[in-house]
Amino acid sequence: MVNELNTPSYLQMESISKAFPGVQALDNASLSVRAAEIHGLVGENGAGKSTIIKVLAGVYSPDEGSIVIDNIEQKNHSPASVHEAGVRFIHQELNLVPHFTVAESVFMGQEISSPVGLRKRQMRSRAEDFLQQSLQYQLSGKKLIRDLGVAERKLVQIARALIDNKAKVVVFDEPTGPLASNEVEQLFRAIRGLRERGIAIVYVSHYLGEITDLCDRVTVFRNGKTVSVLAGADAENSQTIIQQMVGRDITTLYPERRRVSEKFVLSCAGLSCQPYFQGVDLNVSAGEIVGIAGLVGSGREELIDVLYGLKKATAGTVELDGQALRVNKPHIAVKNGIVLVPRDRRNAGLVLDMTVADNINLASLDEVSTFKLERKGLGRKRATALADKLDIRPKNVNAVVRYLSGGNQQKVVLAKWLATGSRLFVMDEPTIGVDIGAKVEIYQLIADLASGSNAESDGAGVIISSSDPSELLGLCDRIIVLLRGEIIAVKAVDELTLDSLLALTTGGVVATAGALH
Amino acid sequence: MTENTQVKASSSASLKQQAVGFLKQFGFLLIIAAVFGFFSLYATNFLSSSNLLNIVEGSSILLILALGMTYIVALGGIDLSVGIAFDFGAAFAIVALKNYDLVWYLAVMVGVSGGLLVGLLNAFLVVKLSVSPFMATLGTFFIGSSVQRIFTNGGGPISHRGAPQEFRDLAVGKIAGIPSEIVIASVLLLVYFLFLEKSIFGKRIHAIGMQREAALVAGINVNRYLFWGFVIAGGTCAIGGIIGSANLRMFSPLAGYSYLLDAIAAVFIGASLSRNGRPSVSGTLIGVLFLGMIANGLNLMGLNFNTKDALEGVILVVVLMLAVYQQKSLGKS
Repeated sequence: MVNELNTPSYLQMESISKAFPGVQALDNASLSVRAAEIHGLVGENGAGKSTIIKVLAGVYSPDEGSIVIDNIEQKNHSPASVHEAGVRFIHQELNLVPHFTVAESVFMGQEISSPVGLRKRQMRSRAEDFLQQSLQYQLSGKKLIRDLGVAERKLVQIARALIDNKAKVVVFDEPTGPLASNEVEQLFRAIRGLRERGIAIVYVSHYLGEITDLCDRVTVFRNGKTVSVLAGADAENSQTIIQQMVGRDITTLYPERRRVSEKFVLSCAGLSCQPYFQGVDLNVSAGEIVGIAGLVGSGREELIDVLYGLKKATAGTVELDGQALRVNKPHIAVKNGIVLVPRDRRNAGLVLDMTVADNINLASLDEVSTFKLERKGLGRKRATALADKLDIRPKNVNAVVRYLSGGNQQKVVLAKWLATGSRLFVMDEPTIGVDIGAKVEIYQLIADLASGSNAESDGAGVIISSSDPSELLGLCDRIIVLLRGEIIAVKAVDELTLDSLLALTTGGVVATAGALH
Repeated sequence: MTENTQVKASSSASLKQQAVGFLKQFGFLLIIAAVFGFFSLYATNFLSSSNLLNIVEGSSILLILALGMTYIVALGGIDLSVGIAFDFGAAFAIVALKNYDLVWYLAVMVGVSGGLLVGLLNAFLVVKLSVSPFMATLGTFFIGSSVQRIFTNGGGPISHRGAPQEFRDLAVGKIAGIPSEIVIASVLLLVYFLFLEKSIFGKRIHAIGMQREAALVAGINVNRYLFWGFVIAGGTCAIGGIIGSANLRMFSPLAGYSYLLDAIAAVFIGASLSRNGRPSVSGTLIGVLFLGMIANGLNLMGLNFNTKDALEGVILVVVLMLAVYQQKSLGKS
């Protein structure tokens, strides 16, 4: 959709300032979005994206500034008045009840009823029609939420927000986090469909690829200020966007390659976990970073779980440093030097209400204790050293982890495992929900892990499972591709391009080769 | 929330948290002071040193059971069978003395093993069969109650007037001039404090209770901790039962039940006192003494003992309301 440059803005937030105790979260920031426009909102963690979204939602009241929606200045801004004005929010979390049907979920809280009860059939057909017409997706209203894929659930969530046909502005907050790349396209079709209908769309995402693909214009935030509004070619150039975001050039996103040793750290043969995957042979050398690519349902997640003992293998052998090992519980993995950076950081990676220091020391408590009694001072000192090394902010190891940003939380997870001196680092989506600046640091850290702390040590093996193909290509030495539970390719990164990797993951190349069953 | 916001907000919030945390504790102290003052004025002899000692001594058994409960609640569960472990401790000890003529210390060990047995059943249900702690210990509660009735032909007490003096002294004797109940409870209190609040085991236990999955992924053998948690809690509660039986020189079936709700109340009063809402040994101690003070004060005033529960309930609700209110005001900032 081409917008004329002088099209008036439908949503206009001007000179918004908002201070929290000790910090100016928004400093004279502005955001204006036109009707029938997909408007990207980007910035590093801490730039003020979430704050301005919460100001728009009426959760925070701004200290200064004005909000105009459809030429009406919003006084007494509150969540109810925002909803009344036609602003809808698609939150990152799904918030759907698993045993409700699609139709029930769409109409939850806004049921159509007659004097004798609910009009179930009418709700079902309206839900189906809406999904079909506005979101370009066919889905039976009778299906249960728990039987849907993540992308389908996202669409149901969108339908629920928009079914009353009063939406004028829709804010998407990191909508693609849990989606696989082919599902993302499905969501994009739906979002473009909304644009056709003249809705103004605010799209918040860490994935710059999505921003450049989808957005007509992009507002960049830095330190609570609006630094630029990019349009046209600039909005399609991720280098430009990155430069605006961090205020400097990031020349190399990925670290340099390292020397890979001949010695296998991990060596799996015929590893299977029915019905998720079977016959996986996987070797990881010291100093090597091996990537695992594959769609959701390819067995990628389950392979990680089996390697870490969260799921039991049904067949196959695992050797660590040449020693046969049966890993059927995480504590056995950790004891033997296999550690996991889990995909679900907030549930599995961290104890959110513990401090940074407690989280960092949690896996190596023996080293900060005397006669099993904890030495708090020693623990803090040790955690501080690691936190400094990884540049964890805030620089206070007594801070509660829940309140850290995604990137810093992930660094805490890494610090916890650095403290154990492990042999094999298994990382599942290591940079999910992490902003670009922290990403670069985490990539460097992963490379440092692989190369080892000093010249004579061999370094650790690293396995990275990721749904971001460019991350795999940039970071890994070798990539194995899983499709429907089987390895269909093992390739050095030099043999791969973004396109060929994508084709492999989705089964394209193999299908033409006739090897697909 | 943005990173910077949170950085600064959390550091300034920690000041505020401290203030609110102080207020919260202060608020509860006000309630304690008010109740204390009320009893001092209206309950004769409440303030006498012998009565204050009475309160502490009368709270000893509850404290022992509440310690076991604190352990389980810290692990993220609940134990509805603390009373059963209490009863089994009493029954095993009395039967060992009466029917098998065991020396008193062996009888004590037999009693403790009775509680361990109850704990083992819980542990088996929770760890091996993956039953939730609530349902598992409820099951144990029913089974244990029934076993006691069958064993005693419908619930008659087993008395043993000829229990050796050393055994009786566990309840009525003195060690270095201090009632032995208080000494035993204090030793357990210290052990639990070191274990749950100061040791690395305690750190892992709290991690499991806060976020089990994260603890698992951090390499903590969650099942082992759950298993031993229930076993040790069972053994601890049995010590309470042994003291109870030593006091009366008999085992009265289902006597432990009366401690269950008080133990839960004490732990959660204690948890609401701490800034992060976690159960703690020191919080539990305050909760137990508070409940003991109410029971004692009402008793001295000659009020109907039945009103004690009502008043306890009212105070509990007020304390929890206070905690929720303060947490809310904290969340808003």
